[in-house]
Amino acid sequence: MSQLQSNAAEDLINANERWARDVIKHDPNFFKDSATYPQRPKVLWIGCSDSRVPASVVTASMPGDIFTHTNIANQFHSFDDNANSVLSYAVDPVGVKHVVLVGHSVCGGAQAAIQAAEEGPVEPHNPLTRWLVPLIQLVRTLDLHGLPENEAVDKVVEANVLKQVENICLSEPIVSAWATGNNVSVHGWVYDLATGRIRELVVRSPPRANL
Amino acid sequence: MLRATYIRGPIIFRSLFVLPSLRFPPLRNMSHRPLQTLLNANEEWAQTVVKDTPDFFARSATCQNPKILWIGCSDSRVPESIITASKPGDIFVHRNVANQFHLHDDSALSVLSFAVKEVGVEHVVLVGHTNCGGAMACIEAAKVAATNPSASNPLTRWLSPLTALVRSLDLSACSANEALNKVVKANIIKQVDNICKSEPITTAWADPHAKKVTVHGWMYDLAEGRIKELVVRDSQA
Repeated sequence: MSQLQSNAAEDLINANERWARDVIKHDPNFFKDSATYPQRPKVLWIGCSDSRVPASVVTASMPGDIFTHTNIANQFHSFDDNANSVLSYAVDPVGVKHVVLVGHSVCGGAQAAIQAAEEGPVEPHNPLTRWLVPLIQLVRTLDLHGLPENEAVDKVVEANVLKQVENICLSEPIVSAWATGNNVSVHGWVYDLATGRIRELVVRSPPRANL
Repeated sequence: MLRATYIRGPIIFRSLFVLPSLRFPPLRNMSHRPLQTLLNANEEWAQTVVKDTPDFFARSATCQNPKILWIGCSDSRVPESIITASKPGDIFVHRNVANQFHLHDDSALSVLSFAVKEVGVEHVVLVGHTNCGGAMACIEAAKVAATNPSASNPLTRWLSPLTALVRSLDLSACSANEALNKVVKANIIKQVDNICKSEPITTAWADPHAKKVTVHGWMYDLAEGRIKELVVRDSQA
């Protein structure tokens, strides 16, 4: 059993070695350049930790393209130092120009929030439950009556994306950026697991006065 | 601009994820892609996957069963699935500034909890990397007098444990590069330690019927593109 279990981590390191060799074969300077120059990605991706939504794979991106933060159910809580520090660092000094908040279909966090909302008042006695409290509160504001499960989850996923985009736009890094003429745009996307496609739900940019 | 995208998965999926590799442009030229290019690339990628394996997405939508939780840095140069040639479904991911695992952080704790108890990962890999901007910032911050963390901003608060760790290290004889590498390594060891003290891990290790979980500390060297294991801990250690 331990032999099988140790293979997953070893496999990853072995795959990394093969990948690195292939990259060097195609571009001998790739890694040297990566280490020499500071990163200059133009996109910050705030998404879900779900293994089926790897940002760089689904957008066919290269190392250096996307500054990334992922958590359960792609949340951006105003009181969360983790996400706020990523956003702050991404806007300045990294200098991203687009923040994409990415939800996805069949989200386990959304499913858990729907179930918790049905069960009545939540006792946030552990980190995961505490983490989902804002999402559970959002679920309670939605009318999911009569909807089949997958449609209910889709409705929650979309409402969640819109809500997190709103939270991002109210955050200090974005408010300051927009006030000083830094026109970072904020986008809400949904990744559909069944088709592999991303679609944009909403885009927010600075008020007209700054443009 | 020619864009080369080179993504490989394990042999059975190799045809899915290999896109024609034309030229690997220098990293500094690749960062100016507009957002629409990302959406177009997603469309192209999805079409390629469907052409090669028509039921890949439908199957993916039914469940996830990754064996690995990756806790790494948000740095754009360390995309976990690209550098390990992994495909969707392989790696559950949490990335933040300087690959931290704070025992009071609900974000990281909820990811670890969900990954171990619900998803059933078998390995938690904490991955630091060379040239880490967060580590560099903490080396600078450690040179000035400590400020009251609660009075500061989210980024300063987030980095205050790492700044404290820097202060505990003797970097006096180190060049700037040596100091950075020493901090990156000490950070990895420290975060692995934190993970091993967390409730999801201590509970899993104390329960003889629980699925075995191993915690690893890895360092990704940007200049070589290679991951090295620094430390590994399991219930026996």
